[in-house]
Amino acid sequence: MAVISPSENANKTRSDLLAYATLSLISIFCAVPFFWVLIASLDGNAQLFLRWPEQWTFANYLRVFTKEDGAKWLFNSLFVVGGATVLVMVLAGLGGYALSRTRAWWKLPFLYAILLIRVLPPTALVVPLYKFLLTLNNAEGAILRPIFGEYTRPIMRWTGFIDGYLGLILVLATMQLPLALWIMKTFFDGLPRDYEEAALMDGATLVQRIRRVLIPLALPGLAAAGLFAFMSAWGDFLLPLIFLSSPELQTLPLGLFRAFLRINEIDYGLLAALAFIYLLPAVVAFGFARRFLVQTFAGGVKG
Amino acid sequence: MLASPNSPFERVTELSMARNVHERRTERQLLLILLPSLALLLAFVIYPALYSVYLSFTNEALTGAAALRPRFVGIRNYARLLNDAKFWNALLVTFLFVVGSAVIGQFVLGLISAVALRRRIHFRRLFSSIILLPNAAPEVVAGFMWISMLAGGEQATLSRIVSFFGVTPADWLQVFPLSMIIIVNTWRGIATAMILLTAGLSTIPNEIYEAARMDGATPSQMFRRITLPLMMPTILLYMLISAVSTIAVFGLVYALTRGGPGGATELVSIYIYNQSFTAFQLGYGAAVAVVALLISLVLGIGYVRAMKVEV
Repeated sequence: MAVISPSENANKTRSDLLAYATLSLISIFCAVPFFWVLIASLDGNAQLFLRWPEQWTFANYLRVFTKEDGAKWLFNSLFVVGGATVLVMVLAGLGGYALSRTRAWWKLPFLYAILLIRVLPPTALVVPLYKFLLTLNNAEGAILRPIFGEYTRPIMRWTGFIDGYLGLILVLATMQLPLALWIMKTFFDGLPRDYEEAALMDGATLVQRIRRVLIPLALPGLAAAGLFAFMSAWGDFLLPLIFLSSPELQTLPLGLFRAFLRINEIDYGLLAALAFIYLLPAVVAFGFARRFLVQTFAGGVKG
Repeated sequence: MLASPNSPFERVTELSMARNVHERRTERQLLLILLPSLALLLAFVIYPALYSVYLSFTNEALTGAAALRPRFVGIRNYARLLNDAKFWNALLVTFLFVVGSAVIGQFVLGLISAVALRRRIHFRRLFSSIILLPNAAPEVVAGFMWISMLAGGEQATLSRIVSFFGVTPADWLQVFPLSMIIIVNTWRGIATAMILLTAGLSTIPNEIYEAARMDGATPSQMFRRITLPLMMPTILLYMLISAVSTIAVFGLVYALTRGGPGGATELVSIYIYNQSFTAFQLGYGAAVAVVALLISLVLGIGYVRAMKVEV
């Protein structure tokens, strides 16, 4: 029988208080920068430091879309990151299934390889990647120019490898693939083969099996893989910085960064509003991804 | 007469042959649906990684004479690397950055949060949500927020907080640049440490603690003798994961300081970027990149072994 003595009880209360105190301090450390962005974005006369606004206003948000090209940046970010996310979900869904079910010799080497790829720093890859994409881009231009003439540039804006949507989408998607493949492989490992075998017995082809059986079963895994790909690609700054240059392709991180570099005319209210617009989808996605966080990391711990 | 076509023996071989054929077809289909992922990884990761090794032996540049006719220069880039004070500075800054933020900052605060959140206290979900928040902030937004926090002048947020405790305000990013980026990266990564360590803590059975408590062990004794030893595998894995991801940090620090002032925060990742896209020395930048790739790969092999891949 557990008998709790008064001294033990006091001990418990004391360490509970200690837990509250440390957690409050750490939480304040984590939260203060966010207060500034939120408050400054609603302040008619925002400054670089935290202050209580004299007048609350939404004018900063309006100016993001009227004075700056906020709408264009938002569209570009959503289009590029959304495209990369969909691509990652499709490829990782298929690839993860293959990695989970195959008995071929390449299974283990491939799994080791994608773990190793995850540790390579992207900054170390962008130089050769830039050269490679430049070569592809020039080749594409050389093919398209004789056919489309002056319309080549508008077409290349969509299909180009450098300073085009396609190149950035492909590279962003590739960088998210290893983690997504890993998540989907682990997910399919946990799905019993009975359903597929039943479908196989009924004479379903691979395509039918994927469409009717696997996709419905795999939705939670796909959601997790997609959310992680979205968050990582949405927050990425390096790849758009290197692969985009035209103003009409600029994404939110570039818009924010370059607006901030115009030292002599920094408008903190506008920047804070822009930062908040850029921040919001990331936080929402993080909220949805929360319940997968522990699984994804804990799965890694158990191996 | 030999075995009739309908003998049981014959039927079994027929079945197993059919299964074999079927299995081979399935394997082919599986390889086929993995192929697009494989192609992307080969084209945009493996090939560039190998190509950077090649580039590091050339004088490839984005502008000037070398841009038109790049030459093979042997190990000249690597020889230059050895005598390049800025390169060694970048290595040192990166090392201090990794040790300060990943090994010490994030780990200590993440462990404290994980241990505290295991207690049955109120607002647990609220606390952990707030601690997770910095992880969700995009790199540039995080950098922008901290430019505000750390700005110079008496009215700036950090200066006002510390002057409350009697510390003289300063232009933090100018005076203590490296310490500041370590603090900012700690802020950003507490959540990762907390999540991993929470998962590790939850695998330690409560009975051990109860038995120790029966024997009159103090909380600090239990922490040192039970929690830490049993957490060692998790801690090792965390250290490897956070070290490689901290080496890869670019946007956060670039948005804050762009490597300055005077190279004080020039991480290897920023040095590669500056050499390649500001000085346009692709060949030399590639040599630095190869060094970064090798360091990450060595840590990565440790990580792969710690993961114990299940097939």
